[in-house]
Amino acid sequence: MTHLKLTNISKEYSGTTVVQDFNLDVEQGEFVSFLGPSGCGKTTTLRMVAGFETPTSGTITINGQDITNIAPNQRNVGMIFQAYALFPNMTVAQNIGFGMQIHKEPKAAIKERVNEMLALINLEKHAGKYPFQLSGGQQQRVALARALANHPQVLLLDEPLSALDAKIRVQLRSEIRAIQKKMGITAIFVTHDQEEALSISDRIVVMYEGKMEQVGTPFEVYNFPQTAFVANFVGTLNSASAEVLDPAKGLITMDGVQLVTVEDMKNRKKGDAVKFSVRPERFSFASEQKKDNILDCTIENITFLGAVVRIQVKIGNTKFNMDTFNNPFLELPKIGDKDQVTCSKEAVLVLNH
Amino acid sequence: MTTVNAVKRDAPQARPALPKFSWAWLGLMPFFIFAFLFLLYPASVIGVRSFQDTKTHAFTFKYIVELLQTPYLLGSYWISIKISLITALGGGLFGFLLAYSAIRGGLPRFMRSSFMTFCGVASNFAGVPLAFAFIALLSPPGELTKLLIALGYNPYFHGFTLYTFWGLSMVYMYFQFPLMVLIIAPAIDGLRREWLEAAENLGASSFQYWRYVAFPILFPAILGAMILLFGNAFGAYATAQALTGGSINLVTIVIGSQVSGDVLGDPGLGYALALGMVVVMAFAIVARTLLQRRTERWLR
Amino acid sequence: MKRGGQAWAWFWMIVGILYFFLPLVATFLFSLRARLGVLSFDAYQTVFNDPNFIYNFSYSVFWALLTIIVGILIFVPTAYLIRLRLPQFRAPVEFITLLPFVIPAIVYVFSLVRTFSKPPLLIVDSPVLLIAAYAVLSMPYMYSAIDTGLRAIDVRTLTEAAQSLGAGWGTILFRIILPNIRVAILSGSFLTFAIVIGELILADYLVKPAFAPYMAYLMQQKAYEPAAMAVMSFALTWACLGIIQFVGRGSDQTQIAGGH
Repeated sequence: MTHLKLTNISKEYSGTTVVQDFNLDVEQGEFVSFLGPSGCGKTTTLRMVAGFETPTSGTITINGQDITNIAPNQRNVGMIFQAYALFPNMTVAQNIGFGMQIHKEPKAAIKERVNEMLALINLEKHAGKYPFQLSGGQQQRVALARALANHPQVLLLDEPLSALDAKIRVQLRSEIRAIQKKMGITAIFVTHDQEEALSISDRIVVMYEGKMEQVGTPFEVYNFPQTAFVANFVGTLNSASAEVLDPAKGLITMDGVQLVTVEDMKNRKKGDAVKFSVRPERFSFASEQKKDNILDCTIENITFLGAVVRIQVKIGNTKFNMDTFNNPFLELPKIGDKDQVTCSKEAVLVLNH
Repeated sequence: MTTVNAVKRDAPQARPALPKFSWAWLGLMPFFIFAFLFLLYPASVIGVRSFQDTKTHAFTFKYIVELLQTPYLLGSYWISIKISLITALGGGLFGFLLAYSAIRGGLPRFMRSSFMTFCGVASNFAGVPLAFAFIALLSPPGELTKLLIALGYNPYFHGFTLYTFWGLSMVYMYFQFPLMVLIIAPAIDGLRREWLEAAENLGASSFQYWRYVAFPILFPAILGAMILLFGNAFGAYATAQALTGGSINLVTIVIGSQVSGDVLGDPGLGYALALGMVVVMAFAIVARTLLQRRTERWLR
Repeated sequence: MKRGGQAWAWFWMIVGILYFFLPLVATFLFSLRARLGVLSFDAYQTVFNDPNFIYNFSYSVFWALLTIIVGILIFVPTAYLIRLRLPQFRAPVEFITLLPFVIPAIVYVFSLVRTFSKPPLLIVDSPVLLIAAYAVLSMPYMYSAIDTGLRAIDVRTLTEAAQSLGAGWGTILFRIILPNIRVAILSGSFLTFAIVIGELILADYLVKPAFAPYMAYLMQQKAYEPAAMAVMSFALTWACLGIIQFVGRGSDQTQIAGGH
């Protein structure tokens, strides 16, 4: 059942369109990420759900109720800000209980709920502390508890981890996901970090310049990107230019080297210029296993990244990155060696723009 | 001191300490000689001679005692404190409303910066020119008085005079409002928009936001600013002198007349009076500094 | 404050603007009434042709310039040394620079007159005392402006780079540090200028020619000329602060004028 529905949402600021034709159906309990670079409109869309911006056109409904024009303090959605936004003049307990205090709940109920929330975020001992006495990660957990204490219908998170250290970020994002699952609450998570989005979302909406580029599960978005932007933004990618050789057989040629792809090239004719991409981890050495494409290459560079070894090879006149898992017993080629790499048809992605 | 954000900082911890050359101390000598000769020494003279019998040079409390027992002198402190309190509270309140309107009131952008510049000018526009401006406005032949009379209402028939305590208060407000605006502006800037949004998000109305979040956060800053306004009015001299010719009995006016000649009968009393003023001001500055620490903790 | 709050914002601003502008407008109008029945700039003409005015005003400008120079000569090396070598002196020096706020001007003049009227420090009649006193009064603003300017440039690195190229201390101070805090110094100078021009008490009691005491004196005798002088004084202060804002735009070296 659709819990949160955005229909034809657009937002314009003095002539500039910031969000265009945004359509999304979110199920109850689903965790959806809005992923994209700065300025793509993801935060603006989130803020429209929260009520801090009004859509120029379109509607937002929660549970069938149209909330597009309802004031932000009447929507009962919980928002978590990048800068925590804890009230500095209140203790942790007071911050968490603030929403209920506003709604004039009885003191006993507030106290019980606050304790419940403190247990959920593992900060029982810090109930009487003030925000400036807490670390960034702790403050963000209190912000989460404050939003959840108020029994919101939807949880909105605006890049909540961007201000935190790398290690805390990884730890906190799984915590957030665990709490969200436990409470079964619908959540929208805005981020520019693709690893974050991939690791904790049920679905991802990739956005660029105000438009939705692709919606799908992390698996779909990573392995089957539908546009060049999505392919580039999510994960690393090799890109190069080529010419269509035979559209029926899926052959393209680059610098005299032929590649076969499984992409549909019905609308193209021989000689068309195309751009294609291959993920670095889809390449492997032909000596191990031969796949559809076998390509001659020269070893240009070898970079040891820990778990992954990145080998730069030159195919034709273009350099490509190939990632293989680190194996201490594998003999790596030397720089300057001539070798052969291989990849499947499906790995060669020919994309629109 | 309110100053604009710095960009780069020295990083003394990142490098080894430079050896201390003795000439560096010498480099500070001009400043210390200057400060000692023209500030510290004269200031200490006040302190010392308040407790020193003018004729015998013996240590005595008699001037302090006499000050506390002379109604005329105590009264002057009372009047000074009264006008400072009133203009600090009134100026603080109105200045705060002005500052908040200019910064967060949704007004056009250019209004904020031109308003701030104007406040910078207006807070310096004290003393003789200011007194005269109000004379030009509201004295019996003043422009506004004439306008009101033409409209049928003569304020002077209803008991209004410019050259009284309340007239002076009105004039003081002219530099108190802008001073408040300048001091409180950074604090209002420090009110993060997210706090308002978080409060709204949790269901709070405008009034509830103010009551539970904004006002408690701003309170130390506002109080500290009002204390500064108090000090500012307390020490003002030129405006009162120019407006009323010394007829209103402020401490500053009494000290002023003491400078021209010994109107109190014993110079020692004058010193005690001056010392009293410094004590009041010192209290104000210390209170303000303590409040500022609290402000900075929340509004960083 | 949204929606309905915006109406209140406009309301308070309009009230504020009225309060600020009415006295100014009144003064200006008043200054135009020198000739009976007609609005004219006669009062201004009289003022500008008054040799006493020129005398007093020029002296005020002169005192201001000297004060600024003295301020730069004393405060720049001091702030520089503290930042570079002697951070332990920061607290006492800053305390001293803030003392003029604690000691009201009238009390300060009182102490000056008493201290320097008797030998061996009998300099109460000397302009040296006046300049020094003006420097003390403007010290919080001048020192703070210079310090803010120094804070915005990496003093240590600049000095070390200059030293490694062979520069001596004079060169460093005057050809490297000073030009880089130009904006801050200008800001402090204009504030000092505004303060000295508007200052009444010192010049009055130390019996020196100056703008404000002359205006106070005129107020006893004439009606329209002081109005003209008040307008000029206000315009001058506005010009000073406007220049500070203009020169300092986009720079991290300016401070808010007049703030404590």
